[in-house]
Amino acid sequence: MTAKNENIEDTFLAKWIADELSDTEFKQLVSEADYLAYQKIKEGINVYQHIETADNDFTLKQIKEKISSINTKKKSPKVISIYYKAAIAVAASLILLFGLNNFFFNDVTNSTNFGEQQTITLLDGSEVILNAKSTLTYNKKDWATNREVTLDGEGFFKVKKGSTFTVNTTNGSVTVLGTQFNVLNNSNFFETTCYQGKVSVVSDEQKFVLTPTMRVTNNNGIVTSTTIQPNQNPTWIDGISSFKAVPLKQVILALEKQFNISFKPYNIDDSVIFTGSFDNKNLKSALASIFETVQINYTVKNNIVTLERQP
Amino acid sequence: MVEKSKNVCEEDVFNHVFNTYIKDVRRFIYSKTRDLELAEDIVQDAFVKIWENCETVIFDKVKNFLFTIANNLFLNITKHNKVKHNYIQNNTNTSTNQSPEFLLLEEEFLHKLEQTIASLPETQREVFLLSRIEKMKYKDIATQLGISIKAVEKRMHKALIIMREEIGDI
Repeated sequence: MTAKNENIEDTFLAKWIADELSDTEFKQLVSEADYLAYQKIKEGINVYQHIETADNDFTLKQIKEKISSINTKKKSPKVISIYYKAAIAVAASLILLFGLNNFFFNDVTNSTNFGEQQTITLLDGSEVILNAKSTLTYNKKDWATNREVTLDGEGFFKVKKGSTFTVNTTNGSVTVLGTQFNVLNNSNFFETTCYQGKVSVVSDEQKFVLTPTMRVTNNNGIVTSTTIQPNQNPTWIDGISSFKAVPLKQVILALEKQFNISFKPYNIDDSVIFTGSFDNKNLKSALASIFETVQINYTVKNNIVTLERQP
Repeated sequence: MVEKSKNVCEEDVFNHVFNTYIKDVRRFIYSKTRDLELAEDIVQDAFVKIWENCETVIFDKVKNFLFTIANNLFLNITKHNKVKHNYIQNNTNTSTNQSPEFLLLEEEFLHKLEQTIASLPETQREVFLLSRIEKMKYKDIATQLGISIKAVEKRMHKALIIMREEIGDI
């Protein structure tokens, strides 16, 4: 490399890369091979600059927007989707008020009462065990082509292998081919646990695929995934309600459903996280096993429970 | 989250995949398209495809899959629009035309360049990054570092010589 100009002999590359020296001038200072090599390096540096300064967060955001717009397009109109909570609310009240669905659309509804469990065998031999105060609805006529049920409350599903089986709830939908899983859906709380096979869950536009011992929880819009101890069945099947890191409110709801009790409006924080279980057959020990552990005083009178913070 | 069964369908696993490979995919695709906007589109679509196929993608194989998809997207797009035209022109012109726009930037070359930048002596790398990444003028770099403009230019000059030496004949 020979530099014509003594003055810039040790800086001309800097001047050229910053466009203070033209290509023509630069060409005079270096060999043909060097000229091409430096041109390529300059181009490469530009690429490097783009890669280094690219806004990755923005790119990721755009990717997620693309994904959710695809999901929206793909939504089958037949599936009652969680994204249309309002529509479900309207449909649900229609069902309640007029029993329209039952009348015209061959809908079958199974409900359990307080403290009750019920095993339902569906048309294909699939089994659903409903926990207390839960409702399961499905369409008899469509069943052969459309294995789809709607659940409110909690159910343990043992699905026979076959076409896609979908459980719709107000807070998410669960899709499987043939497997065993548990779905719990209350207002603003949704939880699906896989016991066997593979389960696909969509809740608040987030998609999960669960394998055994995996659980997805949507607590008021916050979706998380965890794992549980390997188990054959959910413990409630054997009369034990158990909870892993759920808001106390869900435990109180479960108590109401199991024992047909109600809670007086209380002044305690029911969003504290509770892990533990209670016996579905014994109210006294159930209340004790929960509230003793979270430092809350309780009194029961005529099936009405009063809760107070421990002083 | 269970470490052994990383599931790409889980959002945080997907985010992790994105953060791990975004640079590599960008470099890979940009070396092909030489068009920032097009490269960005392809990169985004490749990750969307990963998500759509998250159930079938094995976590350990995700990089491979991502690059294959990105490459396929690139090939399919170039098949259908003028980029192909430009690209072919670029290729055919390289041998005869010395104009810099027609130089090919192979992925390997870009990778080597990045490594060379990373291994520059600290004083040179500092000047190089301030000038080329932060786009600062030599005068401002001189002020910031408390050295003369000439000293800044010397460091930059040396950095480029090192890069030329490291990268070798192209």
